[in-house]
Amino acid sequence: MKKLKKAAYLALAGVMTASFAGCGGNSGDSASSNSSSASSSGTSSEAKVDTSEFQEITMVTMGNKPTNGRMEAVMEKVNEILKQKVNASLKLQYVEWNDWQTQYNLLLASGDSSLDLIGTATDWLDAWPNAKKGSFLALSEDMLKTYAPQTWASVPAEHWEQCKYDGQIYFIPEDSYTQWTNHGMFYRGDWAKEAGLDKVASFDDLEKYFDGILKNHPGVIPWDAAGSTNLGGLVEGYINAYTKYILINGTTTGLFNLFYVDPSDPYTVLSPYMEGTTLEDCAVMMKRWADKGFWREDVLNYTGETRDLFYAGQSGADQHHTQTFVSTIRPTMDEKQPGSEAQMFPWSAQSKNLVKTVVTHGAMAIGFNSKHAERALMVYDLIRNDQELYRLFNYGIEGEDYIITSDGKLDRPEGYDGTKDGLGINFWWGRTDKNELTDANWYDGKDEIYKEYDSYAIEYPLGKFVFDPANVSTQISALADVCATYMPKIAWGKNDDPKAEVANFRKALKDAGFDDVLKEIQNQLTQVKGQ
Amino acid sequence: MAKSSAIKKTGRAAVFWKRLKESKILILMCLPAILYFTIFCYIPMPGAYIAFTNFNYKAGIFGSKFVGFDNFKFLFNSGKIWMLTRNTVLYNLAFIVLGNALQIFIAILLNEVKSKYFKKISQSIMFLPYFISAVIVGLLAFNILNYDFGFLNSIIKAFGGDPVKVYSMPKAWPFIIVLVNLWQSTGYGSVVYFAAICGIDTSMVEAAMIDGANSFQKLKYIILPSLKPTAVILFLFAIGGIMKGNFGLFYNLVGPSNSALFPYTDIIETFVYRTLMNQFNFSNSAAVGLYQSVFGFAIVMLANYLVKKIDSDYALF
Repeated sequence: MKKLKKAAYLALAGVMTASFAGCGGNSGDSASSNSSSASSSGTSSEAKVDTSEFQEITMVTMGNKPTNGRMEAVMEKVNEILKQKVNASLKLQYVEWNDWQTQYNLLLASGDSSLDLIGTATDWLDAWPNAKKGSFLALSEDMLKTYAPQTWASVPAEHWEQCKYDGQIYFIPEDSYTQWTNHGMFYRGDWAKEAGLDKVASFDDLEKYFDGILKNHPGVIPWDAAGSTNLGGLVEGYINAYTKYILINGTTTGLFNLFYVDPSDPYTVLSPYMEGTTLEDCAVMMKRWADKGFWREDVLNYTGETRDLFYAGQSGADQHHTQTFVSTIRPTMDEKQPGSEAQMFPWSAQSKNLVKTVVTHGAMAIGFNSKHAERALMVYDLIRNDQELYRLFNYGIEGEDYIITSDGKLDRPEGYDGTKDGLGINFWWGRTDKNELTDANWYDGKDEIYKEYDSYAIEYPLGKFVFDPANVSTQISALADVCATYMPKIAWGKNDDPKAEVANFRKALKDAGFDDVLKEIQNQLTQVKGQ
Repeated sequence: MAKSSAIKKTGRAAVFWKRLKESKILILMCLPAILYFTIFCYIPMPGAYIAFTNFNYKAGIFGSKFVGFDNFKFLFNSGKIWMLTRNTVLYNLAFIVLGNALQIFIAILLNEVKSKYFKKISQSIMFLPYFISAVIVGLLAFNILNYDFGFLNSIIKAFGGDPVKVYSMPKAWPFIIVLVNLWQSTGYGSVVYFAAICGIDTSMVEAAMIDGANSFQKLKYIILPSLKPTAVILFLFAIGGIMKGNFGLFYNLVGPSNSALFPYTDIIETFVYRTLMNQFNFSNSAAVGLYQSVFGFAIVMLANYLVKKIDSDYALF
């Protein structure tokens, strides 16, 4: 009996020990594979195109992984073509919308060697900070010429310039696709009429619109926003609507960007967060809106899906950019809430302060640890330029996911419901106008909107400026913390005295080293101007 | 002289090997724990060096630029570190003191209950919250406390009162957090004390009863003193984690963005998490983490030293 007990103890101890030893063994393995990948990417450029070995390429894309099976069906076809043309297959890795900024950066920080193609952007995703932190592989011209020849030829030199940091290209721009990604508020035309408004063209109109919803539609929250995923609320939009200043890309402090320039003098940094009364005015308005109940009292702890609530008629507004409006919001609202006449109030409506979409609003990078950088570029080159593959990848299978109408437009088959049957591959990192079909379902007023934008939009004047925060990184993290502390309270009216809150915010910014950062940005701007 | 010391040495070595051989089963049983701490605590320790660098993914931990104490500057300059330390320590003190007191109280009550079924059922009900994940707890709290549709405010409104804006009242949160923590941990913790009470020699209690002790005297002179060693050990263990916060609880109750509540609810863990998530600043996060470890180590050593001075039997080491 005693012996048996002893044996049992031994066995138990042995099993536990073995399980830990197993962990150790694994970590050793991955370390060694990392180093081998580094060496393989180092020798890449001299090799000729050799596709004898089958490789699986992983592409990081943004979005919730679709569950309707369409993506898998399409990927199967995509992989057939890829196998045949470049002896590779493609796997999608999704960064889901919940906490997406965080998830995205965390994924890149992991340095996972399976990340080959990484969708990125300089304005809405942290392409520059990640390029600086070493998440992306530097793409040599040889590499691009050899493995992505069509893309290399189609992107003009000045656009490559906008993808360079320290003289090296870090990503491929989505530069031949027309889209407007300026933000604004979506609202319902029918409810605006009830509130006595022809259209919403300013923040004051928006306030009247929201007032009308409170009066006419009890139970509907005017803008049922989730503050926990939008700490800055409408402040950026307000600045856009009431000043002519434009944001400098790549000077973010955490989740916020405090630094602007005046387009008439683009080499002088300034900050409406620190100067003038714009922020105070905005804070006062947001406090009033919060008190009126335009959003939930507990907005900062609320995590609901505003867009779905907007579709369901439970929220009177939703906030995003023009492309979303014409491609998704308006068509969906026409279907889900017939007669709602969904409209968009772009922040630039009155200020005419609008910058054309930067060519790196979508871009494709290669992970620094990628073992298949060359083949990944080949796959990308095909998807971007091969019309058959492009349409398959972006629209799905012809006849099942989409049809081409007699006049050559993109339409959807009978009974198709975009919210349920959508493909969800979300390839926003290399679309091209030449391979796109005009979507018959898109809002047909879009040309009018585009024409209006075209009448006043300007080019982003600082495309070649890439801020290097190395000298002020301590101050930047201090600023990030200050912003994350004060901005939610200002933007969502969670304070007793908005003006005092702004004053405190400014003082805290000063204490955290705001002036140092401002000076550093100015120095670097002056340098770029001199070149 | 030299010879004798050599003999002594080999003698000692022999004794050491003999003891090792004798206790090999015990050592084998310790092995998982030893391996665990080596792999997950000691091997990663050099990584704390991140706190002193300007971290670059590609350059790696030891290839990144060394910046000395730059990463600590902000924490100390802004006074943030004191707020975080205060919150962490005070919350943990409240958890430890109130938690243990309540657990002892519940254990004594359970001991006095005579109905077997009532005892089992009430124990199970109190046990249950322990198994609810913090995410669900956060969701429950939001559904009870939120202003517009919350359970609490619906009741208040039904009785004609003014709803309360709980998520805008920082000072209410220490109470809410402590309450939720007690709700979650009391049932589980009381089991240990209940077991200790069951372990008390019944002859002592019987003797006291014969001598005419009433229930309160029994409690005061027999049960509570018998629980003292258990309480002291648990207390000391808990002190070891006094700089560690219950991240899941705080993060899920307060959320990442309601900054109005932070002065009263931010603990080191949540701050480190936000710094990492909002800014991807590994160096700053590591700096706070390192501070936490060093400070926590100092507290454990101090607490143990004090206990040793008062009564060396109870000291941990």
